[in-house]
Amino acid sequence: MTIIGQRNVSQTNGAKQRGAPSLALIAAGLFTLAAAALPVAYLIRRALQIDSNLLRTVLFRAKTLEILITTISLVLAVVALATLIGVSIAWALSNVDLPGVALLRALVILPVAIPSYVFTYSWLSLEFLPNGFFATLVVLTLTTTPYVTLAALAAFRRIDGAQLDVAQTLGLNQLESFFRVTLPQIRNAVGAGALIVALYVLSDFGAVSLLGVDTFTRAIQNTYQGSFDRSSAALLALILVAISSLVIYFEISFRQRSTLLKSSVRITKRLPALRSLKSKAWALSAILLYIFVALLTPLLVLLQRFFSRVTPIDLTELLIASLSTISVSLFGALIAMVLAVPVALLAVRETWIGTWSERAILLVHALPGIVMGLALVSFGSEFPLVYQTTGLLAFAYSILFLARSVGSIRTSFAKVPINLTEIASTLGQTKARIFYRVTLPLAAPGVLTGTLLVFLSAMKELPATLMLRPTGFETLATEIWNNTAIFRFSEAAPYALLLVAIAAIPTFLISRPDRDSERGELQ
Amino acid sequence: MANSRLKALISLLSALILTVSLTACAGGQNEVNSLTIYSGRSQEFIEPFFKTFTEATGIELDVRYGDSAALAAQILEEGDNSPADLFLSQDAGALGAVAGAKLLASLDQSLLERVASNYRAPSKDWVAITGRARVMAYAPDRIAALPSSIDELISENWKGRLAIAPTNSSFQAFITAMIQTRGETATESWLRALQNNSPKLYEKNSLIVQAIDAGDVDAGLVNHYYTWEVTEELGREINVKNSFFGPGDLGNLINVSGAGILRTSKKQSFASELISFLLSDEEQARFVSDTHEYSIVLPELRPEGLPALNEIKAPRVDLANLSDVGRTQALLIKVGLL
Amino acid sequence: MTTLEIKDLGVHLGSREVLRNLTLTIPSGSFAALLGPSGCGKTTLLRTIAGLVRPSSGAIRFGKQLVSVSSLVLPPHKRNIGYLPQEGGLFPHLSVGENVGFALSKHVSDVDRSLVIEEMLELVGLSGYAARKPHQLSGGQQTRVALARALAIRPAIVLLDEPFSNLDHALRADVSVEVVSLLKKSKTTSLMVTHDREDALVSADLIALMRDGQVVQSGTPEDVYMDPASADIAESTGDILELPARRLMKNRAKLLSPLHLLSGKTSGELEAGSILIRPEEIRVHQKKAGLPKAKITQINYYGHDALLELALPGYSKEIKVRVTGPLQFEVGKTVALEHVGPIRWVSKKPTGE
Repeated sequence: MTIIGQRNVSQTNGAKQRGAPSLALIAAGLFTLAAAALPVAYLIRRALQIDSNLLRTVLFRAKTLEILITTISLVLAVVALATLIGVSIAWALSNVDLPGVALLRALVILPVAIPSYVFTYSWLSLEFLPNGFFATLVVLTLTTTPYVTLAALAAFRRIDGAQLDVAQTLGLNQLESFFRVTLPQIRNAVGAGALIVALYVLSDFGAVSLLGVDTFTRAIQNTYQGSFDRSSAALLALILVAISSLVIYFEISFRQRSTLLKSSVRITKRLPALRSLKSKAWALSAILLYIFVALLTPLLVLLQRFFSRVTPIDLTELLIASLSTISVSLFGALIAMVLAVPVALLAVRETWIGTWSERAILLVHALPGIVMGLALVSFGSEFPLVYQTTGLLAFAYSILFLARSVGSIRTSFAKVPINLTEIASTLGQTKARIFYRVTLPLAAPGVLTGTLLVFLSAMKELPATLMLRPTGFETLATEIWNNTAIFRFSEAAPYALLLVAIAAIPTFLISRPDRDSERGELQ
Repeated sequence: MANSRLKALISLLSALILTVSLTACAGGQNEVNSLTIYSGRSQEFIEPFFKTFTEATGIELDVRYGDSAALAAQILEEGDNSPADLFLSQDAGALGAVAGAKLLASLDQSLLERVASNYRAPSKDWVAITGRARVMAYAPDRIAALPSSIDELISENWKGRLAIAPTNSSFQAFITAMIQTRGETATESWLRALQNNSPKLYEKNSLIVQAIDAGDVDAGLVNHYYTWEVTEELGREINVKNSFFGPGDLGNLINVSGAGILRTSKKQSFASELISFLLSDEEQARFVSDTHEYSIVLPELRPEGLPALNEIKAPRVDLANLSDVGRTQALLIKVGLL
Repeated sequence: MTTLEIKDLGVHLGSREVLRNLTLTIPSGSFAALLGPSGCGKTTLLRTIAGLVRPSSGAIRFGKQLVSVSSLVLPPHKRNIGYLPQEGGLFPHLSVGENVGFALSKHVSDVDRSLVIEEMLELVGLSGYAARKPHQLSGGQQTRVALARALAIRPAIVLLDEPFSNLDHALRADVSVEVVSLLKKSKTTSLMVTHDREDALVSADLIALMRDGQVVQSGTPEDVYMDPASADIAESTGDILELPARRLMKNRAKLLSPLHLLSGKTSGELEAGSILIRPEEIRVHQKKAGLPKAKITQINYYGHDALLELALPGYSKEIKVRVTGPLQFEVGKTVALEHVGPIRWVSKKPTGE
């Protein structure tokens, strides 16, 4: 008993035991912090130029309050629904003995590959959804659920099945043991996924604009579009930043500090698989229903449009757009990885740079692409050498989507047992070599997942891409836009289908549980 | 082992990225014989014109396509550092915003004189290229009597039958024109009456036309060319027709797409050449036949099935002032349409 | 062949003083065990020797090399030590062979590397396991691989942190004997942290007993068992009975305690104190005159021996006595007790309690 107790104590001190961060690490963390602060600094600079009359009109009109209420209700409703659906799907995939579970796991994640404007278009074209709040709720829930599913799937894998056995011997039924044993253990992971969902909803433009719901993002867009008033738009964007900081604050206070420790508990037994026909049938039909509405329906609409098109496919254009998309998104994902790893290492050590860099990254994640795009235009156009190069575009992607990777990267570093790095140091390895030979390989699956998530998100990014890509550089997303902007949905279909097809590969990699480490944990 | 695989993957990816970014960067922004264009006009419709221009002059065009308003915002952010030589906009508003920030160069008198005085900026720094008429799109089997004025649309029997796109710049330009001609108070009461009729709100003109075809709504205020766009997308005839209002009615507003040359451009003569090309009789006729827009140089030409520009009897409106939509938006917000 | 010398070592973790003025010398080639209750600082001492914890004062010497003086320390990777943490700490992403060869320099050729790995695996009796992954091994095998990994760099000193704690009881004795004999054979100076006193007594050449951040006694297993410095310390190495006693100042052999009935005259000054008795140092007689009587209250039978609990008149607590051989006693019977071991006198502290 005492030994176990002692072990726990030493793990709580994990942050300190990992030792002070090196100067290079601190410098890298500061760079990320500065990069994340860039758009906020831009917004503040712009907002300060507003004249006081306009300030009052923008801030204190009744409409602003209405937008605030709509935005917050939409965020809350989507987060609640996506969490419910995402956790249920992940639970079914982890606890029920389903046929083709690997494929199902990939298919429930794949909706992240469909841009929300394409998703919304395809649902709209079915003339089934009415405009407005409810439709937006449905669309955003379906597109964001995978972020929760993914987080919950990983969390379920870390739960020791023996605990559930114990719970049952203690007289808890399935439902009770879910709420009292399982839920507390997946809570932080699900909270992190829900945070991404909340920030996604705050920054989404595709769905809210097409379905006509007034959120801050749409108000910002309208202000740019209608009055070319960058100061009011910046002010509205700052309100968005304030909301997102509130959301982040909630997530932090919801987070349980101890879960970092639990992740290193040994798994002695896998989760028991429910094998009864009834549970299989229920689970399978629920999962298939989700796949049908969130993935199959938009894909079928796209296919129908694809076959109804009149002009022949320009294969060269498709190929060029695909290669451009893949390369610039990968570039962005790799920059994000290089930026996220130091932040994750600093956050694991609980240094203020790590904590604040992470928060800043999350904060800017709520900003709509047009704001990020303009911030980088304002900053980047000062440097003609980099302005409108793929490099700057990739950098923009990394800042925009760093938030989607930093969580999984941080968790995977936190899971690397401290004693292994200590052993490596007694085995004659320098800090740098230990990182390269022990820490990084052990954290690699999480780092890869995070990087691929940035890749997936960058592939479908539009507003910043339109502004920052090199002139004449077309990605799949811009080609889709080129056609949908003039209502050529059928012409956009090949590009959209290709986007989903390309995205399927990283999605499959992400959804696959890492077999090596899983077996390692099982021992 | 996992390490070496990871390393191999990373080096492969970096190689790929490097090649692609290098080739992409090489895209000749600094070539002498080229122009950089920010185009708010969509690629599908304008690219054929660009191709003809390059073939005729040998001047290469690097075109950045985007939303007119977003491109205007981008140019405003870039300021003196803008790499753009020419800005092509879907509407007068975006051009006015850029012109208002004194970022456009004065145009040659010869260019300005190609068009009637109400189709160019008084500040002489932008010029219209094509005209877009506001119309009422409607389902012929459901609308018996066509209205001759927009004021009929606020009557009781239009309740719930009309669609508008209040966030769209073309609708906002229409309201701006109304404020200019009728004053703010009158416009507000018109908007309130319209709002009382509970119109259906859409994000885009094309969605309105589609909704009319689908029977969701009977009529809508749109630009005239969307009937073609939707027909082409759906690949069939649609149950939607365009109707103009009576002579001089505000509902017949002609908005324009236009072009301006960036003050900071080092290739202003090339840019002038392109504008001159787009305003040539030949290309103007091509706009009418290919993109179904109105020519402002040749007002007697008519898009298939529609009256000619000089037959429409458009209201007299100062297009240059249409960029001042701040008041318009405030009003739309006030009555609850935005 | 390295002597480990620790002098006046002080360590603070945060604001807490974990080790203070700790001094300990482990002769070259010997196997030492560090024994003490949890929280006494033994793991911290080990980690400080390894260089994983920075001391605030004192010096550590490996042979002639000063590896740590006050807060100036040689980093762990330059100390040439072998470290066996709890549960072995094998790298889960590497194979057994890769684990063993982990510390070998990059410049070692592939052939030499596999030779060393094979040699080390043979040493720990796991030839042919090089390609396996750690999770395919049993707990004992994992510990042995960890040992092979630690020995592969020919360390000057091997540090073991409760290396057998995750092994089950039966396996544990075998593995620990094996590991210790391997270490002794290789004549590597070794220091093992353990909370299992049997482990320590059986295997160590030297036992260091720790309390509150200090080494309170060190010596051979017999020394620390037979001649404990205090009752508290005695408890680290086995059960101990502390009986209040008085002795005649004039005649120190004459004792008065619940176990020692003073015969003859008792004149003279009596000194108050206590005596320490191991449970096996009391002989139990069915009946013998002149000895104190006690009543058996409980018998714990272990097979090879048994522990009797007895109520002794004049002493408030139960006393425990270990008896061997066939059990001839019953609960409730009265027996005679004879103290046969050495007399360990503990004087009462002058300014008491």
